[in-house]
Parts: sequence; structure tokens; C-alpha cells
Amino acid sequence: MITVNINGKDIKLEKAVTVLEAARSAGIKIPTLCYHEQLEKYGGCRLCLVEVEKMPRLQTACTLISADGMVIRTETEQLAEVRRGILEFLLINHPLDCPYCDKAGECELQDLVEKYGTAKGRYMEKKRTVPESLEDPVIVRNMGRCIACTRCVRMCEGVQGASAIAVINRGGHSHIEPFSGGRYDCEYCGNCVSVCPVGAIMSRLHRHSYRPWQVKENIETVCPYCGVGCTVILQVRDDVIKRVVPRIGSVVNNGMLCSRGRFGYEFVGNRERLTSPLIKKNGVFEEATWEEAISLVANRLKEARDGYGGAAVAGIASPRCTNEDNFIFQKFMRVVLGTNNIDSSARTGYAGAQSFIENISGQGATANIIAGLSNSDVVLVTGGDPTTVNPILGLQIRSCAGKGGNILTVGHVRGLRHFNPAELRPALFTETLLLEGILHSLKNTKELPGSNPKFEAKIRELNISPEDIIKTCGVSEEDFNGFLKKLSGAANPAIVIGKELIQSIGSSYKLFLVLAINYLINGRVYLLSERANEQGLIDMGCTPDSLPGCRPVAYAEFRRRYETAWKTTIPDKPGLSIFEMMDSAGSGALKAMYIMGENPLFNLPESHASEAALKNLDFLVVQDIFLTETGKLADVVLPSLGWSEKEGTFTNMERRIQRLRKAVYRDGMEDWKILSEVAKNMGVKFNYADAEEIFNEISRVSPLHRDLTYNEIEKGNALYPYKGEPLRGVMEDIVSHKGDRLDAGDKLYLGLERPLFHSGTLSTKASALLHIYPEAVATISPSTAEKFSLKPGDKVRVTTGAGSLSLPVAVDDAVHGSLVMITNNFEGKGAFALIKYIADPVTKAPVIEGIEVHLEKDGTV
Amino acid sequence: MLSEAAIKEIEAIRAKYPTARAALLPAIYVAQREFGWLSPEAYEAVSDILGIPKAIARGVATFYAMYRHRPMGRNVVQLCTNVSCMILGAEKLVDFLKNRYSLEPGGTDPDGRFSLVIMECIGACGTAPAMLVNEDFYENLTEKYIEEILGKYK
Ligand code: SF4
Ligand code: SF4
Ligand code: SF4
Ligand code: FES
Repeated sequence: MITVNINGKDIKLEKAVTVLEAARSAGIKIPTLCYHEQLEKYGGCRLCLVEVEKMPRLQTACTLISADGMVIRTETEQLAEVRRGILEFLLINHPLDCPYCDKAGECELQDLVEKYGTAKGRYMEKKRTVPESLEDPVIVRNMGRCIACTRCVRMCEGVQGASAIAVINRGGHSHIEPFSGGRYDCEYCGNCVSVCPVGAIMSRLHRHSYRPWQVKENIETVCPYCGVGCTVILQVRDDVIKRVVPRIGSVVNNGMLCSRGRFGYEFVGNRERLTSPLIKKNGVFEEATWEEAISLVANRLKEARDGYGGAAVAGIASPRCTNEDNFIFQKFMRVVLGTNNIDSSARTGYAGAQSFIENISGQGATANIIAGLSNSDVVLVTGGDPTTVNPILGLQIRSCAGKGGNILTVGHVRGLRHFNPAELRPALFTETLLLEGILHSLKNTKELPGSNPKFEAKIRELNISPEDIIKTCGVSEEDFNGFLKKLSGAANPAIVIGKELIQSIGSSYKLFLVLAINYLINGRVYLLSERANEQGLIDMGCTPDSLPGCRPVAYAEFRRRYETAWKTTIPDKPGLSIFEMMDSAGSGALKAMYIMGENPLFNLPESHASEAALKNLDFLVVQDIFLTETGKLADVVLPSLGWSEKEGTFTNMERRIQRLRKAVYRDGMEDWKILSEVAKNMGVKFNYADAEEIFNEISRVSPLHRDLTYNEIEKGNALYPYKGEPLRGVMEDIVSHKGDRLDAGDKLYLGLERPLFHSGTLSTKASALLHIYPEAVATISPSTAEKFSLKPGDKVRVTTGAGSLSLPVAVDDAVHGSLVMITNNFEGKGAFALIKYIADPVTKAPVIEGIEVHLEKDGTV
Repeated sequence: MLSEAAIKEIEAIRAKYPTARAALLPAIYVAQREFGWLSPEAYEAVSDILGIPKAIARGVATFYAMYRHRPMGRNVVQLCTNVSCMILGAEKLVDFLKNRYSLEPGGTDPDGRFSLVIMECIGACGTAPAMLVNEDFYENLTEKYIEEILGKYK
């Protein structure tokens, strides 16, 4: 125990913190500028100087570590004088353009000068001037205002790990610039903007459109984009979101955001939003009243159900909708329409992979705390770049490296390249072999722990000769051995599994191998999730084979619980998967579909086949916030309220349930409300006053959510398994599929790019993200560019067995020489249009590997 | 693109220092020599070899005035105009360079043959005026002597 005395007050400290922290803990304020709690200490601005007895000079409180018996004074005449002087110096080069500056009102410099500064400056010389930089579409720099505190640089380098900006020049001329001096070429997390104490770097999105004091409410909610589920605070003026900021101390993202979360909110007010129900008459949409639209939907669904039975209707739920929406969706399908034909885009990877993992490792095996990654000593990354798919999770891996942990990657992971990764880059199509090699070698050094006999039996069956592996995979023996040494020596390891692995040839077998590796090193598994409520939708029972709480529909004892609660009977056979739905719609067996917040035409392989299938339906209703490609095929389109316009909950990839809040008002109904109206028109009463009532029902019927309330969630501890034991389901046989290894040869193949700046098509409705990443491109390696005499911006036609796209070329040296990378984010230009539906027979995930691409210069577009 | 030899040179420099950052300044010199100035490509090349983010490399280099932060002529004349040199007529030499070679302080002649950088002391006060042409040192300058010297540089 240490005791220091500050301003005559004795303060007891558990450990030796800085004098600044000690003072703050006792409610004593010391002025600071370069200090920021998220950043490494710097001691540059000298504003926090304090007097310490027995020390000859003034000391910076932000760096001085308290020692027992220290006597400190923070407010004296001498200190006031010094602070006045420092502030006067800071203002020498400052333009004093507060009336025009967006920061005014929340500017730390302004506040300090107001409190400690002089009323009048004495400086007579010319000021340094740096012109305003508007070269970047998202971040504006007014470097005349920069006080060189380096908070932004320490953020970008030390916490974000992007190192995209630096102090340039020297002395009075120093200020901050990105590499180009103009436009940023960075991760656009905006975390530098968060920490700048003055108005030197700011977001252009809300430029000159409001003053900080005009924000009446700060509404805390959850980011709409990925499965990390970051806490965001929406600052709203007149029902328009002006700014999205993080909160320091929030449990998932602790003061950090990624580009999508911070700058991707503009879709909310996008003019293309649907405003009225649409009914297609003679092939064209006409605006309709809600009554008209809802009774039409109810009648047509009733016709299909009564005429052909529940098996002839199907529904697709949404990983962008709340738990409450999805719960009501599956209840509507099961109770009103009498079908288990419920699925979602989670089927393209996450859902199948998760059941596979849970079958082997137990339910909840993927529900691990994201922040825990940074405390691992080894993180093994497979299946792509976590720093673009789940950026805030990516930061935890970077932070692990920063703390001295080892990052191991299978394949090249660009976002981790500056974090000293041990990298094994297997040759094309040899990843399976490499994983086998790793497992084999581990098996020789590690005992099987004996806790999962069924699994161990399978592991023992493997018979691999590792010598050939190293040769075939093209990795060096030295690298391989180094990698293994780190892996097998890990005390607290974690394995990250991304979609590139799940959507590859033999993905279930690869998953099996990765899980076996994980079993041997006793690690934790993180399954990356691209959508905000992908996990929630599964837990809500929006899958053909399970009820809310992940209870298999095939078991009568599980069904009974819901049948009693809902006073109905639930079909005992699992329903159709999303892919089977398309097949049955195509063949005519399926008659009607209800699609909520999903665009299967775009998000499933073989869009031509899906299009024909959906057109073949007797009736299609699509409920969404925008008119999507799928919506255009519908008979009725229903506009719903979107993120930030309604209450509810999301479940993130840790299976943490978090509250979503309404921040802006918009006319319309929530998805659950629309469904309830349709139900009512079909003679079934869904009486819910609000989202909370639905949640209360969820916590009554779903064993996974037992006793959970909104109150409890607000406390931030609604984590799976809630107040209970992990629910190990019935372990089924472990079946996996290895697939045939392709020979790479000299061909080009399709790769799916998962960009940091987009998520589905939603982000393309947010103008800032479009400015950063404006259009679909085909990204190729420099060697491919040379071979085809292509340069950036040239148009190419990319053709596969499934389709063809004309795209501009981008060249990137991080791209594999045999791959052509295309995103699936831009309508009409999505990679999935080039993919045939060939799936792993076990996980059912589509295979996006080994798809041959024909590339040709395209002069016509 | 850096030549193979330059890449080797930077790697050799890297090997002499405990950390990549410590090797940054000399490595940047090599790239500057290869590219003629610290162009974006020069920074990128150094960044790739040393594994230091390019924005950081640029930030470090801009601290130092003696790197070439702008494109320069094929030869760089660095003339001192500090006290001793000034007293012994360096300013006249500046005028001479302007009139005879169209060379302004901080500028490059129209042919791109020379750039002129005005230096603070280069440690030749006893033999002032003095200048550097590229890495060659010349003292006791006169107009005639300068003509003779510069004739050697194409
Ligand atoms: S936006 Fe993020 S990555 Fe870009 S400069 Fe700022 S902190 Fe760095
Ligand atoms: S831009 Fe802002 S945060 Fe960065 S050094 Fe200048 S004042 Fe500090
Ligand atoms: S990491 Fe995911 S949840 Fe967090 S801000 Fe980014 S997109 Fe949103
Ligand atoms: S806050 Fe302590 S020196 Fe800046």
C-alpha cells in the first residue's frame, strides 16, 4: 500500500500508479492535453506539471509514478503561471478559428485556455499556416490547429496498429500527415479522430452541420455490421444521426471502432429507403396501403398453406434483424404456416461450421470472449484476415502480438503482416495437407488428453506421412518446425477460423483437423462472423432443424416445450435449408416464400438459378429497408424499420446479448410488428406491445435465455451460457468430407475478397464507405497484371462456369498470383454470380475454391 | 524498384543494428541515392525491406533537412553562405550561379543538371567559401574555380 498526499489529502493506492491517476482516483483534476487513457504515456505537452516536495523541478503528473510519502500540489500560483505560459505558446501558431471549427464546445484546448489561459496573447510574429486538407473524402485535416500532442499517432500506431500517420517536419512546423500527404491510405477506423483533443482531424460526414451542444441525447446501441457487436453511441440531432462514437470502457470494443461502425451509418437516412408497401400489378410495383398489402400477404400465404400444406411455404430470416424479429419470424413460420422451412444466409458458412464444431467440442464452444485473445500467448489464424472481417477482434490479435504473444498464420494475412507473424503459406489447394502435417507432428509431441474418446478415435485413425507434406505444400522445413514449436509450446492458445476455410474444398475435414489441433493444444476457438446478429438468428431458431435455444426440432421432448407454450403442433421433420428452398422453388414444390431482410439472389451462389426459382413461386413477399434485387422479384414488398429505428437485442459471436436502441424516429413498423399483423390477418393472435415483451417470451421458452431480462442485459453480463452449464447436446457421429485435391497448374481461380470497408450490400448505401471503396473491382497480382498486360483501371471480363462480370482491374501485391479477387458487396457485380452451388456435404457451405476464371481485357465497357 | 545491389546494401545495414528502426536513416540514404530523391517509391522500397510502415519512414525522414525531399537535378551543389563564407564572398557566388547556370537557391536548372542547396556551416571556415557537389568537397572557391569544377559534372 502506497500513500501519497495531494493538495493536503492523503490518498491510499493499491499499486504504484501515476500521480495523475492517483489524483483522478481521488477526484482531483489536473489539466492534461497529450495524456489519453487509451494511449501510451508521452509526457509531451507539460500541461500536467505539478509541484512535488523534495523534487527540484516541476514534474509531469501523467508520467511520474507515485511513491510512498510523496507530497504533491496541483494548484499553486507557480503552476497557474506555468500553465498560462504553456497555453500561450500553444496558441502562437494556432489559427484561433473557433467560431468556424466543429470542435468548439468539446475542444480540450479551448476549455483549458478558458480556464487557465490569458485573455490576450502577446505574440506579434507571423503564424505558421497549414492549409485545410480536403483531399480525403472522410477525414478532414486542419493542421494549423494541431498542437503536436501525438495522440492520433500513438492511437494509430500503438492501439489500432495501422501506423498510417506520423508527425512530419520539425519544431514549429511539425504536424500530422498520412503517407501521401493528402488522401489517407489507411484502415479508416477514425480512432485518431476520437482522440484528437482539438479540431485538427475531424470527420467530414457531419462537417458544419451541428454543434456538440446541440446533441441532446447520446444513445448507446450496437453496431449494425459484424458479429463482434461493438458498442456505439449515436449522437442525434432532429432525428438524423450526426456522429457515431465509441465509449471507453465498453466491454467489447473499449473505445475503439472500425470504419464500418464509425462511418457506415448513413444508410439510415438514405433516400432510396422504401417508404410505402408495394404491390406488383401487371408486372409493375404500385404503392399500396398497409391494410391492402397485409391482407393480400395473409390471403396468399393462407392459400398456399391450405392448398399445399406447410411444406410448400418457406421463409428466410435475417442476420441484420433483431433477436425479437427473428424469434417472431420463426414462430410465424412454425405456428401460423406450420413449417420448419426456415433458414438464412448463415447457411453459407457460419451455421454449418458452428454445428460441426459444437458437435465435437460441445455447445457454446465458439462462444469465447473476444478481449481474451489479447491475453493468449499464441493465436493461430486460419481462413483469412480477421482484421477485415471482424476488425475489432483483429485488434485483439494485434494487441496479443504487442504483448509478446506469437501470431501464427496459415496463409498470408495482410492485416497482421507488421505483427511479426510466423507464417506458413501452403501452395494453392494444399492447405488440407498442411493442416494434416501440423496435426500429425503435434500428435507425436502431445498426449491425447482423453476427455473426448469419440473424437480421439477419429484422430487416431489419421495416417499421414509428414515428409511429403512439406515438399508438396512448398513450405520450408525450418519454417514448419518453428511454427510447430510455437504451437506446441503454447500455454493459453486460441484458434481463429475464418470463412475462407469454411468455404473451401473439404471444409468439414479441414474443420475437423483444426479442431483436432485445438484439442491437442487445449485452445479456444473463435469463429468469425460477418453479420451482426448471425449468432442470434441461429439461437432464435431460424434454422430448419432447431427451435429457439438451439433445441433440435427432431426430438419430441424438445418440441413439446414449445408446443405447450404456443398451443400448436410443430412438424417433427427438419425443414429445408436455404439451398434446398431454392431447389424446391425451382422445381415447383415450394409455392410461397416470405423473405425478411435478406437478399438471397445476391447472397447465394448461382444467382441465375435463384432468380428462376424465385420467379417460379406463386407468391413471394419481401420485407426490407431497401428494394433489393430479390425485392424486385416479389409480389409484395413491405418496408420495415431498420437499425437505430427500433428496440431489440443482438447476440454477438461471443454469444453476448446486447441491447439495440431506437435513436431516430421513422414512420413504419418493426419486422416483428409487420409479421404480427400478417398473423392477425390469418387468424392467429400475436399480442406483443413491444420488443421487451417478445424478449420475455424468449427467456421463458428458450433454455439458452432462461430468466434473462432487458434489465439484466443492460448490466452487460448477458453472456452464454446464461446462469447455467454449457449445454452439451447429443453427440452425433463425426463425419467429415475431405474432397479431392486439385492440381493448381497454370490457371487462374476466383477468390472472394472480404473488404474492411463493406459488409453485404448495406454498407454500399452508406456514402462515406462508398467514397472509401467505391465500386466492385477485380483485384489481381502484379504478375497476373503483367501477363495480361493490364493496368489498374482497365476493364476486364471475368468469366467462370457460372457467369461473367465486367469489372475494373485493381493490382495488389498481397494477392496470390493464381487468384482473381472479387467482392460480394456491389449489386449486379457480386462474386457469388460467378459461383456454382457446390457444397461441402457436411457443413453445406458453398465451395469458393478452385473455381477457374477466364480473364480477358474488355474494351466494350 | 531498387536494384538488387541496393536491396543487399540495405539488408546489410539492417544487420548492423539491433532494430529495424535504428537502421532507418542509413537505409533511407541508400534509397535516396537510387531514386534521386525521397519519392514515395523510395519510402515504399525501404518500408518493404525493413518492415517499417511507410508513413513512419516518411515522418522520420522529414525531421531531417539534409535529405532530398523534392526531386533534384542530377548533381546537387551545396553552397555554404554562413558567416565566414559570406564574408569571403559566398553571396556573390550565389548570384554567379544564378546568372551563369540559371540556378536559384533551392531550385534546379532547366536542364536538370544541377540543384542548388544553400547550406549552413560545412566546417570549412578556414578555407571559405566552400561547397559540396554531390559527395565531393571544394574550398577556396572563386567564380572561375566553380566553372572549372562544375564542368566536370554532366
Ligand atoms: S483512421 Fe485509423 S488507420 Fe487511419 S490514420 Fe486514423 S487511426 Fe490510423
Ligand atoms: S492532429 Fe490532433 S491528436 Fe494529432 S498531434 Fe495534432 S492535435 Fe494531437
Ligand atoms: S468490428 Fe464489427 S461490430 Fe465493431 S465497429 Fe466494426 S463492424 Fe461494427
Ligand atoms: S498530459 Fe502530462 S505532459 Fe501532456
